[in-house]
Amino acid sequence: MVQPIVRLQNVSKRIGGRTIIDKLTLDLPLGEVFGFLGPNGSGKTTTIRMMVGLMSLTEGEILINGHSIAKDYEKAIRYVGAIVENPEMYKYLSGYDNLKHYARMIPGITEHRVHEVVKLVGLEGRIQDKVRTYSLGMRQRLGVAQAILHKPQLLILDEPTNGLDPAGIRELRDYLRVLSKEEGIAVFVSSHLLAEMELMCDRVAIIQNGKLIDVRTIRGTGSMTDQSRVIIEVDRPQGAVEALLAAGHSAVPEGGQAIAVETDRDGTAAINALLVSAGFKVYGIRTHVKSLEDQFLEVTGGERIG
Amino acid sequence: MGDFLQLVRNENMKIYKRSRSWIMLAILIASALLISIMWLSFGGRDTSMWEVISTESMILFVLLTIFSVVIAAASVAEEFTSGTIKLLLIRPWSRNKVLLSKYISILLFGLLQAAALFLSTLLINWICFGIYSSLDETQQGLLFPGGSNPFAYMLMYYGMKLISLVVTVTLAFMISTIFRSGGLAIGLSLFLLLGVNNFVLLLGFLDYKWIDYLLFMHLDLTKYIGATSLEDGSNLWFSLGILGAYYIIFVALTWYVFNKRDVAA
Ligand SMILES: Nc1ncnc2c1ncn2[C@@H]1O[C@H](COP(=O)(O)OP(=O)(O)OP(=O)(O)O)[C@@H](O)[C@H]1O
Ligand SMILES: [Mg+2]
Repeated sequence: MVQPIVRLQNVSKRIGGRTIIDKLTLDLPLGEVFGFLGPNGSGKTTTIRMMVGLMSLTEGEILINGHSIAKDYEKAIRYVGAIVENPEMYKYLSGYDNLKHYARMIPGITEHRVHEVVKLVGLEGRIQDKVRTYSLGMRQRLGVAQAILHKPQLLILDEPTNGLDPAGIRELRDYLRVLSKEEGIAVFVSSHLLAEMELMCDRVAIIQNGKLIDVRTIRGTGSMTDQSRVIIEVDRPQGAVEALLAAGHSAVPEGGQAIAVETDRDGTAAINALLVSAGFKVYGIRTHVKSLEDQFLEVTGGERIG
Repeated sequence: MGDFLQLVRNENMKIYKRSRSWIMLAILIASALLISIMWLSFGGRDTSMWEVISTESMILFVLLTIFSVVIAAASVAEEFTSGTIKLLLIRPWSRNKVLLSKYISILLFGLLQAAALFLSTLLINWICFGIYSSLDETQQGLLFPGGSNPFAYMLMYYGMKLISLVVTVTLAFMISTIFRSGGLAIGLSLFLLLGVNNFVLLLGFLDYKWIDYLLFMHLDLTKYIGATSLEDGSNLWFSLGILGAYYIIFVALTWYVFNKRDVAA
């Protein structure tokens, strides 16, 4: 198997007797957009801080491309570009000087590359202005710019859509997909915006109270291949339920004019045929896809911060 | 690995792209000019330029030290308060080197100020009082003990002052790194610094051995110019030894804390 770009092994963090991260184990391959989802205070930022070496690990190990972030920091961090929490920049410097500052810290970043990145994040018009005069979204863009400046293999973004307008979110989403699919880099995005993650990620890990509670694949599982809830509008719901139960399907009435069935793609077609041949009028078939939000609230039990 | 000088360039950029650094330099030079003009209008032109230079250097080195302490205190603390420390540290550089680049840029700023002060007082007073007006014998002995010529004396004076400046700035740098608070670093360092003269006088009367090992008993090295041992028993080498010991402790503590710290800003 290919070596994962980042590997968290049994990572724990305790501060003052409180366990903030509890035995986290995760592998991230190249070419994937990985979502890190959790309610406020669940430990997303803390995990990211440990991944980039800002915080020490109480237990466990984090390897980036095989290099330990604790023991071999300078080697490990080369592969990483990141925004940790808010994209704080030097306010008294221009956006361009901020980028030049980070460019100088890594050999081989040309002036050309800096301009390229500025263009990519759409800041050409304002890059010579002082960051003090930037809006939150512009600072977020500058944050993304400094993170991708050195073409990292692992891009870590802590709530990157925070402050971006819809167009900006869309651009970022598209760009992250391009980065992962075409340039093959791994993207690690944290968020508590569920719908956002659903559109952006290949896989999502759900973290709660510092514990990893689930990892789910989002893309690839077409909603119709899985068991899902299918709503069928018919003229006589009660009769349809009985007919389906008789045929071995589990159906329940749904509202006044419809029935609900738990089935997959092929099952849906079979049920439709059955209903039609039995003389029912089928007005419509809807597949109710469980959104990540539903799944998320299901696993976390809709629990509040704690 | 990359080029360490680039890190120093970055730190320099963060100092000199801010107007406050230039305002400090301007105040320093403007003060020298002001003193000379006042001297000229009240004392007349028959003063020796060296007398004015020596007075100005004495007064303005206090200001220079304050400015250096402010910059030193800001360097690390501001990165923490603004949150930029996170983006600064996640680069392929050890924390040791990032901190060293900051330290070097601070020392360079002190040096730049000293050079600016030295050259501007020289130039201003040359113009104001003329280079030929010389000192008489008694003045010479009073202002420039040790019988050296005024220029050599002033160079030595700056040398001694710079040694104390480095120790003071390192102290401010340490406090700022440990407590991540610029205000505290400025306050504590200046308290020590400005308290020096008063404390030294006061403590001089006490007869405890440990007083000899206090930092601020040794921060004024200019008294040793011309004589390495003084009548009160103090000695240049002993003072330098004490300063060196403090310096090593300051540096070791600063780097240790900076390396260990979890960055949760
Ligand atoms: N320096 C610290 N000292 C003590 N506790 C901390 C520290 N930093 C974070 N915590 C605690 O760790 C937990 C996780 O915090 P973290 O910032 O990682 O959450 P998060 O998932 O990023 O939340 P959010 O969605 O609000 O950004 C919280 O309960 C927080 O109070
Ligand atoms: Mg967070």
